[in-house]
Amino acid sequence: MELTELQDKIFAFVEAAKGKKKLKEKDILKGVSAAEGLEKDEVKKAMRAMIDVGRLMYSYGGGASSVEIPSEEYLREKGLIK
Amino acid sequence: MKKYDTPLLDELEKGPWPSFVTEMKKAGQKNEMANDAVGHLEKCFKTRIGYWKHGGIVGVLGYGGGVIGRYSEIGDEFPGVAHFHTVRLNQPSGFFYTTKALREICDIWDKYGSGLTNMHGSTGDIVLLGTNTAALEPIFAEYSSRGWDLGGSGSDLRTPSCCVGPGRCEWANYDTLDVIYNLTQEYQDELHRPMFAYKFKIKAAGCACDCVASLARADMSIIGTWKGDIQIDQAEVKNYAANGMDINSEIVGMCPTECMSYDGGELKIDNANCKRCMHCITKMTKALQPGAERGATICIGSKAPIVVGSLLSWVVVPFIKLEPPYTELKELIRKIWDWWDDNAKPRERIGEVIEMKGMRSFLEAIGIDPQPQQIKEPRKDPFMFYTDEDIAKFKANEAEEKKTGVYKF
Repeated sequence: MELTELQDKIFAFVEAAKGKKKLKEKDILKGVSAAEGLEKDEVKKAMRAMIDVGRLMYSYGGGASSVEIPSEEYLREKGLIK
Repeated sequence: MKKYDTPLLDELEKGPWPSFVTEMKKAGQKNEMANDAVGHLEKCFKTRIGYWKHGGIVGVLGYGGGVIGRYSEIGDEFPGVAHFHTVRLNQPSGFFYTTKALREICDIWDKYGSGLTNMHGSTGDIVLLGTNTAALEPIFAEYSSRGWDLGGSGSDLRTPSCCVGPGRCEWANYDTLDVIYNLTQEYQDELHRPMFAYKFKIKAAGCACDCVASLARADMSIIGTWKGDIQIDQAEVKNYAANGMDINSEIVGMCPTECMSYDGGELKIDNANCKRCMHCITKMTKALQPGAERGATICIGSKAPIVVGSLLSWVVVPFIKLEPPYTELKELIRKIWDWWDDNAKPRERIGEVIEMKGMRSFLEAIGIDPQPQQIKEPRKDPFMFYTDEDIAKFKANEAEEKKTGVYKF
């Protein structure tokens, strides 16, 4: 699977959980690797690349961290959009 | 700059002790954020309300830890603390700094933040208190360009920390500084990218004095110990006695396992019953030294109360040699994380998961044999390793006994 295609799948996975469940990194790795029949490491690398460019982001609440789709405010703060 | 009336905070400046209020006021004379923090704190005391919101999505790009978002709900009244995020910097092992390094930290912090610091936070990091969201990326860029990095926060490996170890202490049974430096380098990913169910803390103490209090607050406590007999210099024992030390009451009588004796001439230790508590060694520094074969005990599971009550660490590996590149230790840590990750619900620390799943399944998963030193408390044996085969055999015997009426005891 091409990297961009895999990243789209990861994004869709996170988007589907939006407002329903706070996803840990491992939830994404387990979920996407099982659904696509891929190694977790491959999914991890693709997901990390998305976080590095701001397509996904880490969030924090109630003492625990999760991975989410960034808000416009976040992207603006990081200079990724104007 | 607005001047706040602070009668309640002023009370905390009275007495002979150092006062954080005095330091905040000093910082407030040249920094608006620190000044507003003083006024804000006075209002919190006066109204008995905490106005802080904690958490959120602040951080630096690519990192999930190192910045803790804090906002005040009365930011209109105190604009300097409307955003007041905490930044954690990874401290050097054993907290050894040059004055140049400390100036560098403070100069950058004065430029972007409140100027207030906490040296150090309970995890061990250098804690920089109070900055706004827009300053986070510049702060990170300035610190990282000078070789500093952010520490851990959230559900990640928290910044590993250690005692001063062999840098300043003769009792270090292994090189705590080197172990922690190595683990920090090895687990950069786990430190900066939260991937666990909750936090995981590693603390390394060179001996059982445990100057980093690892036994009470680290998920993994690495505590220096030794094998073999305590080394005794009887001539120095005589010197202590000659110089007025009451060896029987101060040393022998304080031994928790009563494994020492002193007849006025020779100090004897029943080493088989020594629990390596360090009391005698720390009291008779010239006469007693740890045994020659040195290493560490690894304990797992301590934590403060959140999901369940507070826990102390539990011995898992009674003795491990700790020498570079620490391969055995690193592999063990990864196995521990794998098991924890497979079994933990959100916000469950590893100690809590062991409490729920049992030490037996934990030891099986990480491939460590049960040993007597792992006992948690007297008269409790958590190590019933019955296999399915054992149970089938037991049931077959039981059925046979019922059938024949002949019971074997």
